[in-house]
This record gives sequence, C-alpha cells and structure tokens, in this order.
Amino acid sequence: MDLLTGISATSGALNSQRTRLDIIAQNIANARTTRSPDGGPYQRRVVNFESELIRSNSSAFGAKDPGLATVRVAGVTIDPTPGPTFNDPGHPDADAQGMVTLPNVNLAFEMVDLITASRAYEANLNVAKNSRQMAMRTLEIGK
Amino acid sequence: MALIGSTLPVSIQSLRPPIDLAPAREMIAPKGPSGIAPTGGQFGDIFEKMVSGVEQRQAEASAITRSVLLGDNPNLHQSVIAMQEASLSFSLMVEVRNKVVEGYQELMRMPV
Repeated sequence: MDLLTGISATSGALNSQRTRLDIIAQNIANARTTRSPDGGPYQRRVVNFESELIRSNSSAFGAKDPGLATVRVAGVTIDPTPGPTFNDPGHPDADAQGMVTLPNVNLAFEMVDLITASRAYEANLNVAKNSRQMAMRTLEIGK
Repeated sequence: MALIGSTLPVSIQSLRPPIDLAPAREMIAPKGPSGIAPTGGQFGDIFEKMVSGVEQRQAEASAITRSVLLGDNPNLHQSVIAMQEASLSFSLMVEVRNKVVEGYQELMRMPV
C-alpha cells in the first residue's frame, strides 16, 4: 500500500539539497582557511547529483509508465581553480616568496548557491505538502 | 435472522458478512473463460491486514522520529514524511470503518 506515491522521489531530493546546503556551509566556513589536511589552502567543494530509479514501469500502466526516479548525491568534487594570492611574508602559510594562497571560495557565488539550494528545498517541501493535501482531499470524497 | 451478532460494540471478526455472498459475487464479478469468479478474502481478513499495515506505519514513523531525536539520523524530513504517511493511512482506515458502520446502520434501519 503506497498512499503517497511521489513522496519517495521528493524525499531523495530533500536529502540531496540538504547535502548541498551542508557543502555550501562548509565552503563558506572555510572561505579564509589557508591550511588543509591535504596541504595548501582549502579547495571549494561542489556537489553533483544523479538520478536514481525507485521503481521501473509497473505492470498496472504498461509500457507507457516511465517509472519513478529520484535524485541522489553522485559525489562531491573539488573545484581545481587556483585561489587568489596576496603578499604577507609574516603569514605562517606563506611560500618562499612570501605569497599566501587563499581558498578559491567566492562568497558571492556561495550565497547564490545557498539561495538556489534553499529555494530548491522549499520547492520540494511544497511538493510533499501538496501530495499530502491531494490525498486528504481524496479521502474527503467519502464524506 | 440476526445479520450480525446482536451485541455491540461490533468486533472486527463479527463484521464478516454472515450472508453467503457467493451468488452476488457471481452476479457482479466478470467471469473468466473457465466460468469461475475470482475469490477474494473475507472483508474481515482484508480489514485486519489494513489495520496491521496502519500499525506498522505508525511504528516505522515513531522509530524514525526517535532516531532523529536521538541524533542518529539527520534527515528531519524523513520523520515528518513518515508521520504524514502514518496519519494518512490512519485516516483511510477510519474512512473505511465509517463506511462499514454506515452500511450496517443503514441495514438495521431497513423496515422488514
């Protein structure tokens, strides 16, 4: 018995967007981190999504049913672009020439990503809310 | 003829149709090539399955909510979605029960 059919797709999307928000938070938090475990400054992380099949076409609808797919996080990749540098010989992470490399995190980009991720999360929440409302309204037929 | 056990409240078991529905089923059910109508389970069995399904959903929802509250699961939405599913299946069950009770009362009001 599957009452809220589309909800599993929505659940996966909410999960993925939450991961994206986590990664954006990590990027913003490390915007000025000049030292990381793998050496050098922090490198910006980017989340990639992929679609995931929940169920293939069911026999009830025949071959016309496209099935149901949700989204999941395919992986988190590192943005390889070099970060800005500035001269500060007294900095503990300065190189031989006294240059310090900052992370390649651009706060403006991160804020835009943050807004799109939170809007996407909101959109999926609305889908969940609507599918529940549809089911409740359907039950009202019997009243 | 006592339609249903005369004592109320009616238990799920006693909601089983005491009348032989086979002729009626034969009338409404589409006959296969062999002429045998498909036989379904008794209403009581189906309703019992439904009740246990609702119970299972409620248990799942409370387990997920517990794991979220204990910090084992960061996915708050899963807990809320599970609760909504549980509440929805409960509403469906209540709706089915209302219809059954309504039908029973309608029968009892029937002048013989």
